Amino acid sequence: MSTSKKISKKDIGKILSQWSQEFTVLVPSKEGNVSKMARWDGKDTRFMDSHRNTVHPVKANFFPPMEEMFSFQKNKEGYHIEPAPPDEHKLLIFAIRPCDANALAILDMAFKDGYEDPYYLSRRKDTVLIGLGCTNPYDSCFCTSMGGSPSDSTNVDIMLTDIGNEFLIEEISEAGKELVAKTEDLQEAKKADEAKAKKVKETSYDKVTRKIDTRDIDKKLLACFENKDYWEKVSAKCISCGICTFLCPTCYCFDINDDSFKKRGARFRSWDSCAFPVYTRMPMENPRGEKWRRVRQKVCHKFEFFPMNFGSIACVGCGRCIRLCPVNWDITQTIESVPEIT
Amino acid sequence: MTVTDMSQGKRFFASENVYLPHIAIIEKVIDETPGVKTFHFNFKDEKLRKEFSFKSGQFAEYSVLGVGEAPFCISSSPSRSDHLEFATQQVGKVTNALHRLGVGAEIGFRGPYGNGFPLDFLQGKNLVFVGGGIGLAPLRSLIWNAIDNRDKYENIDIIYGARSPDDLCFKYDLDTWDKDKTINIISTIDREDKSWSGRVGFVPKVLEEVAPSASNAVAIVCGPPVMIRFTFPVLIKLGFTPEQMITTLEKKMTCGIGKCGRCNIGNLYVCRDGPVFTYAQIKNFVSSEY
Repeated sequence: MSTSKKISKKDIGKILSQWSQEFTVLVPSKEGNVSKMARWDGKDTRFMDSHRNTVHPVKANFFPPMEEMFSFQKNKEGYHIEPAPPDEHKLLIFAIRPCDANALAILDMAFKDGYEDPYYLSRRKDTVLIGLGCTNPYDSCFCTSMGGSPSDSTNVDIMLTDIGNEFLIEEISEAGKELVAKTEDLQEAKKADEAKAKKVKETSYDKVTRKIDTRDIDKKLLACFENKDYWEKVSAKCISCGICTFLCPTCYCFDINDDSFKKRGARFRSWDSCAFPVYTRMPMENPRGEKWRRVRQKVCHKFEFFPMNFGSIACVGCGRCIRLCPVNWDITQTIESVPEIT
Repeated sequence: MTVTDMSQGKRFFASENVYLPHIAIIEKVIDETPGVKTFHFNFKDEKLRKEFSFKSGQFAEYSVLGVGEAPFCISSSPSRSDHLEFATQQVGKVTNALHRLGVGAEIGFRGPYGNGFPLDFLQGKNLVFVGGGIGLAPLRSLIWNAIDNRDKYENIDIIYGARSPDDLCFKYDLDTWDKDKTINIISTIDREDKSWSGRVGFVPKVLEEVAPSASNAVAIVCGPPVMIRFTFPVLIKLGFTPEQMITTLEKKMTCGIGKCGRCNIGNLYVCRDGPVFTYAQIKNFVSSEY
């Protein structure tokens, strides 16, 4: 058996440069106060110093907040439609957190199901994910209750574990193995490195202290669907700002709108949110005009309806909706307080 | 039997990209009521004209390019395929723009989407159509389909209502069906009106009075949500089981393919799993969300 490899932290720049030959390399970056996965500038490797997790979810790189679907113009022969050119960048995302990689697997299911979504899937195709285990999870993280963990490597190609001056490499997928095989400047790992990584993983796991119990949550939610008192209580402080859905790595609702000037125009799609009353509003009626119905939809979609359709809860426990909510609405409190079936 | 088991209709992609519309040309515009128009249209592409097929009850996304897109059922019958039809009330941005279009105008079309009515399940049964206002549009596709294949179905009862005589849609169809001895049709309006000598009363009430038998019957209901909500209990009273009650629902279906998220009833998406549902499928959620 070949021994595993490791990356010395001082070599990160060299290695990312190699990968940049083949891929568009995205790394955790800061724009003002907001962190997101963005194209590596080819030099700076200090981005690792403060990286706990990005504010923007990784979905934004595949399903942008706004994108053109097609453009059109009108001439004597009528309308001519021109689809937006496909995005053919091969992406490599460096230091993606396990929860965000798991979230992409959930989005993949939604966008592949039935009619395939060409915009998301063309960007997602051939993406390489280099996962980085968490050593400093937030108080709001609860991945260990959602089937994940700070070192979960299920949905990445290569998994890195921070062992001090180096990252220990685990090759997870075939694509990951190939990439490691052709990457220069890697070092051989020692037995002691592996033991150290094991210890780091165990310590990190215990640092995720927020826990929820999701056993039978779909059945419990079905039983309390009509329990207006409960939903009014848990939605009381929500201000319907939608930030929890925009920053959620698994939320994928969108809207479609046209814009035109004279004889040219385009159709766009943009993120939308079930938190907004206009989201479901029809000219004559709005099935979710009341706030408690919208909060119920958000919770039930993630913990009841998505599992019914895809066999998986649509939440990875990244905690963004908790730490970034302006009024401290807390999904874990809501789930923990769903009434038991009587 | 669940309606979602029905296999999806054939897909007609403008390309690999499901979101790109086909261009269609409006061939005729009919004023149904003061706010409702029917549009007859055909595809610009000759090949698509020949190849296109759909099922009664399916819908499509229609667009006025530059204004936006909106979902309406295909209101014509696949048994009469020289052109396609849809009907819409002038209520929002897209429908306002559509209502300004005349013969020769180009619109965008993607579809057909959704499951359509379960014809195999309906054959050999008594059909009880319960419609209100523009809710007759999807029923009309199935009614004509059944008339054109009359020997495959038993009795056909139609109970159709609108607010006033002026609000009755498809009056030309109502007249034709009235003359057809193989169909029993009852039209009603909500309130007394000098110009109306027929029945008066809300659709669910008239349904209760007419009391069609539930034996070997299927009720197919479409109308405003409030009418649908009050019709289900009447049907149950008449002995219809949840499996014998079919409805076709309307929601804000932006993408039409079960992705954009807003048209769900529980785990079912009206656009993808519907718009045709049995009451059995939606009864856990229907009282509060529809």
